[in-house]
Amino acid sequence: MRPFVFFGKSSMNEYKSKKQTNIIWKFFRSVKLTLFILLILAVTSILGTVIPQREGIMEFARRLNPDMFRLFISLDLFDMYHSIWFRSIIGCLALNLIICSIDRFPGALKLFRAQPRPDRKKPFENLPPEQTFIVREKQGKAAERVSSFLSRRFKNVYTAGDQNSRSFYVEKGRFAHFGVYIVHSSLLFVITGSLLGSFFGFEAYVNIVEGDKTDTVILRKQKKPMKLNFEVRCDKFSVDFYENGAPKEYRSDLSFLVNGKDVKKMSLLVNHPVQFEGVTFYQANYGSVPGKKAQLKISRHSGKDDEITMLIESGVNTALPDNKGSFQIAKIEGDFMRMGPAVLISIQPDKGDEIQFWVFKDSEMIEKKVPGMLGRFPKLNPSAFKPYTFYLDDIESKYYTGLQVNKDPGVFFVWAGFFLIIAGFYVTFFTSHMRIWVHLSNMKKRTRISIAGTSGRDRVRLDRELTHLTGNIKELFN
Amino acid sequence: MLNSLILSYITFVYFGAFMLYLLMMVTGKDFFGRLATFVTLVGLCAHTIAIILRWVESHNLGIGHAPFSNLYESLIFFAWTITFLYLIMEWRTKNRTFGVFVMPLAFLAMAYASFSPNISSRIQPLIPALKSNWLISHVITCFVGYAAFGISFGISIMYLVKRLDRPEWKNIFLRVIPDLSILDNLNYQVIIIGFLMLTLGIITGSVWAHSAWGSYWSWDPKETWSLISWLIYAFVLHSRFVRGWKGKRMAIFCFIGFSCVLFTYFGVNYLAGLHSYAK
Repeated sequence: MRPFVFFGKSSMNEYKSKKQTNIIWKFFRSVKLTLFILLILAVTSILGTVIPQREGIMEFARRLNPDMFRLFISLDLFDMYHSIWFRSIIGCLALNLIICSIDRFPGALKLFRAQPRPDRKKPFENLPPEQTFIVREKQGKAAERVSSFLSRRFKNVYTAGDQNSRSFYVEKGRFAHFGVYIVHSSLLFVITGSLLGSFFGFEAYVNIVEGDKTDTVILRKQKKPMKLNFEVRCDKFSVDFYENGAPKEYRSDLSFLVNGKDVKKMSLLVNHPVQFEGVTFYQANYGSVPGKKAQLKISRHSGKDDEITMLIESGVNTALPDNKGSFQIAKIEGDFMRMGPAVLISIQPDKGDEIQFWVFKDSEMIEKKVPGMLGRFPKLNPSAFKPYTFYLDDIESKYYTGLQVNKDPGVFFVWAGFFLIIAGFYVTFFTSHMRIWVHLSNMKKRTRISIAGTSGRDRVRLDRELTHLTGNIKELFN
Repeated sequence: MLNSLILSYITFVYFGAFMLYLLMMVTGKDFFGRLATFVTLVGLCAHTIAIILRWVESHNLGIGHAPFSNLYESLIFFAWTITFLYLIMEWRTKNRTFGVFVMPLAFLAMAYASFSPNISSRIQPLIPALKSNWLISHVITCFVGYAAFGISFGISIMYLVKRLDRPEWKNIFLRVIPDLSILDNLNYQVIIIGFLMLTLGIITGSVWAHSAWGSYWSWDPKETWSLISWLIYAFVLHSRFVRGWKGKRMAIFCFIGFSCVLFTYFGVNYLAGLHSYAK
């Protein structure tokens, strides 16, 4: 066994090219370089799984000392998979792959095109004894039988010989020589696709509140807004839950608008993205924001019957009961001063100045925790405008849908690459160029038949095929 | 639930099978080997029934989905695939010694699934991200790949153990292990299956990620570690195809490869990422 070294003497079927001898070519056609790059890629990839990438950097950076931090920044370790050095390694692999392929392809082509020679002697050297047998038939007759049998099983049967001996040559799986090239070019397709995606595509996100529309999304990498050629409106967002409280389905009903006109309506679900004008939308997350309406209760302190409940939209002027002026909701907050949902009521009395105060939804609870607090500050007192007391029943809440918005013109290449990988693997691993020779030699009234073969890699399958063939040909003479 | 009860018993069946294979190798008596194969086969049948039962039970709960959705279910399927591939290998090679080196993996996976306090065997409903036709093909291809690499790991141990053999020792245990060249060749074939399935697993995962998250590759730790495993096995295959590396070196690289696979499977759960439901 050879010692465990990387840069030892090259061995095995390395096809030597005589044309190109320049040093760069020599460097990149080496399979040792391939092996080295594969290991380097594997080892460096580990870094990015241990060091936070893009998100969660600050948390991690605080635990580093400044020098280390500067080192990490200069090596782009917080976004290493998109760094120049990591991309250069992948670039080297691609170059290595291209040059290796160009360098070796003529050899494969030669093997593919090789003219079969039926009367070769070499394959019969060291033939196992069970692949030779003698039949009780004259050579000419025997050759006819073998010939018709072989032409039934193989597309082309090549033959040569004379009175004393006949040779047949058959083969299978010539295309196996190209399997490796298919696999390697498929990787180039994937790399090309990813490059196209990063140059001509974008990854962005946008949150749209139910009922709202937008034509601007935020680019993830640059953290900058970007305008689309059309508008998206979220008509409705809904989320379903299982009995145990786990989410079951998120769904956004979207409308797409061009020049302000509705063009298309589509429903977006997780795992079911929708596409419009080459831009794809994915359901990414959701949340809720306070809407524009609140339900208020107004009492006039003269008995229970006096309570009035109304649903009021923010900014709309509403008459007070008894027409002693008007009021409106000036602001709606989902969580005001950490005391829960609240609305800012602005009252315009018949006479006098405008009065503004906040009304909390959880006023009873606040009152319990800090008794008298709301009464002490006019700005927080729900009874600041006598004789009315305001209560906030509820704020209408609205969902917003979080959309991932992508454009990736390279994705077709990636899919093509995936398809080619599978095809290439099939050719490489499940076919092999099997070449089989059958030799018949005259032994007076009998004939000696020998069967031999060669194969690229797949010795096991060749042996199986030879055993099978030997059995079949023996049967011909029974 | 019935299925997880059956599955926890199968742990002991596989352990029994392992002991019988071991007994066969120590005593050299073929009877134990035949019994071991029988026990394994019975275990695998029960295992298959339990998985189908779990599938049916999930439908009865009204949250029907293929039993491939969390760590418990994946471990069960991992053990199933290992045992299944092992029995095929035993049948094709007519050699039972592999059982001693492969069955412990199936047994350990089952034991971890059934008896670890951190792993819930409850049938949970599918979260929206997992509701996809890609789930089944992604999980099956990945786990056949993992299982093949697990078997390759077992064969590599056999290879290194067999290398220690000296004819003058007349050790039954070492003698019944197949010859080095056979082990080497078999290891290579199993790696090809694993590599092919891992590639398909990465491809199906990538296509799925594209429709679920909008990106076919996000450098999430699990994706990255599966790529690392892929690179290691690509290294092994290239070094063998072109440089003719065989035997001990290949066995050692299969160790490294399988550690990466294990890290892809378990270790990644300790890092943050998109595959968090597999915890």
